[in-house]
Amino acid sequence: MAVENLVWGYIYPNEIEIQWSVLIVLYPYITGLVAGAFIASSLYHVFGKREIKPVARFALLTALSFLLVATMPLLTHLGHPERGIEIMFTPHLTSAMSGFGYIYSFYLIVVVLEIWLSFREDIVKNALKCKGWKKQMYSALALYSYDISGKALHDDEKLAKKLAIIGIPSAAFLHGYVGFIFGGIKANPWWSTPLMPIIFLMSAIVSGIALLILLYIAASKLRKKVLNYETLFSLAHYLWVFLILDVALELLEIISMKYESLEEIEIIDRLLSEKIATTFYGVQLTMGIFIPFVLLILVMVMKNREQLKTLMIAVSSIFVVIGVFAMRWNVVIGGQEISKSLSGTNTYVPVFFSQEGVLPAIIILTIPFIILLVLTYILPPWKDMDEDID
Amino acid sequence: MQPHLKRAFIILVLVIIGFLFVRSFIVPESFGQYGWYRGDSVAELRDIPVGYAGSASCSGINNECHKTTYSIWVDSRHKTVNCETCHGPSEKHVIDTRVMPEPANDTREFCGLCHFKRAARPADFPQIDPETHGENLKCAYCHNPHKPWFL
Repeated sequence: MAVENLVWGYIYPNEIEIQWSVLIVLYPYITGLVAGAFIASSLYHVFGKREIKPVARFALLTALSFLLVATMPLLTHLGHPERGIEIMFTPHLTSAMSGFGYIYSFYLIVVVLEIWLSFREDIVKNALKCKGWKKQMYSALALYSYDISGKALHDDEKLAKKLAIIGIPSAAFLHGYVGFIFGGIKANPWWSTPLMPIIFLMSAIVSGIALLILLYIAASKLRKKVLNYETLFSLAHYLWVFLILDVALELLEIISMKYESLEEIEIIDRLLSEKIATTFYGVQLTMGIFIPFVLLILVMVMKNREQLKTLMIAVSSIFVVIGVFAMRWNVVIGGQEISKSLSGTNTYVPVFFSQEGVLPAIIILTIPFIILLVLTYILPPWKDMDEDID
Repeated sequence: MQPHLKRAFIILVLVIIGFLFVRSFIVPESFGQYGWYRGDSVAELRDIPVGYAGSASCSGINNECHKTTYSIWVDSRHKTVNCETCHGPSEKHVIDTRVMPEPANDTREFCGLCHFKRAARPADFPQIDPETHGENLKCAYCHNPHKPWFL
């Protein structure tokens, strides 16, 4: 399409090309899934919700799988991935982005330690049981220390709990900070709001729990084991609670923008009614929040009929995961489709085959699932799912 | 502390020390000397040989080598486009006239960098739609690049 047809009104020359593509949409999406999965696991590790126990360690592995690819969209977008480490060597502290390397690394250490501590008993048992290269691998993972006496495990659990307590604010910080990067851009009225970090965080938790539900259902089906309905319904309940917080904040932002009606309101109206109308009202609010909200209420009031309720929870989770992606899209792409002149709009047209294209985005989004497959092969969390909750 | 926790702690400390160690020799010594960049780069950039001689070295004050073309160009709409924009860097040619510069870039795409229609350009700036204008001929077939409206 000719570029003239994509532009309405007056835009500045440097706005003709939309710089932050679908890859930058993926970046907050993936970090959000990490933070959400971690917080879901801490429901058991910190808050002692025993009904979450069957998926607690699985959630940690999910968080790690996504955390390992969280930098990939940025590195693919910027090019020259070998220079990525320089953000940690010489961080320029006037930029919000400069903290990313440290926050990310700190959180990675917390997650890895947490996983190591909660799987250590299995690792040591495997190291003693297996032979050949597997024995080497598990011995190395056990750091050649095979003490799994009651006291050692008790100490592990205590430390794991402390780490999880540090982990929650780190997860919140990692993702809240991604929101802060957008919220701190004062030139863009669609981004510049102090609510942004907390909106990002809530949608992160929502998407993380939804993803965990989907993975839990998928893992049970693939392994041909029965689902633990207490766990599933409990996760669904948390999903519903966080969904309410999420929608409250998202609507609060829009409503206060409307009520204040500052000079940017006309362009925001145009953005919402034309540019991102489908993805905002249709996908983000209706599909991603309203339908799951109603379905989850039905799940909570319905008695028995486990199969149907599982299906409803699965559908809600799929919708939530798509809805949160739409939310990231509306923020990242929506914010760039309005001109800084406040009197013109541009249109983002995704391309498929290019460094900034949809194909790399799909590849990047597939990698965490492969990592998760490998991780669950090395550290199987299935035992928790098959045990009864005590 | 349990021995395995001690080992994990030691590994963590080693990783952090390793990071600081690698950082200490990867970050250049002159980094931060003047600002958030490598201080030595200032001297390095200064020492890069000059490639462009500037339009004034083609004719005018110093010599009259390209007098005719220069006098046409200097009054044209293209007077803000330097000789070497199209003819390429010519410092070597100015020093030694036997070294000829590269032939001028006269492709449609090159002219199009400024003159293909773009929404972001001012409406009164001369722009063409390459699909419909000029039958894919080189621009210089009709236009004189030294005096663009001289068809």
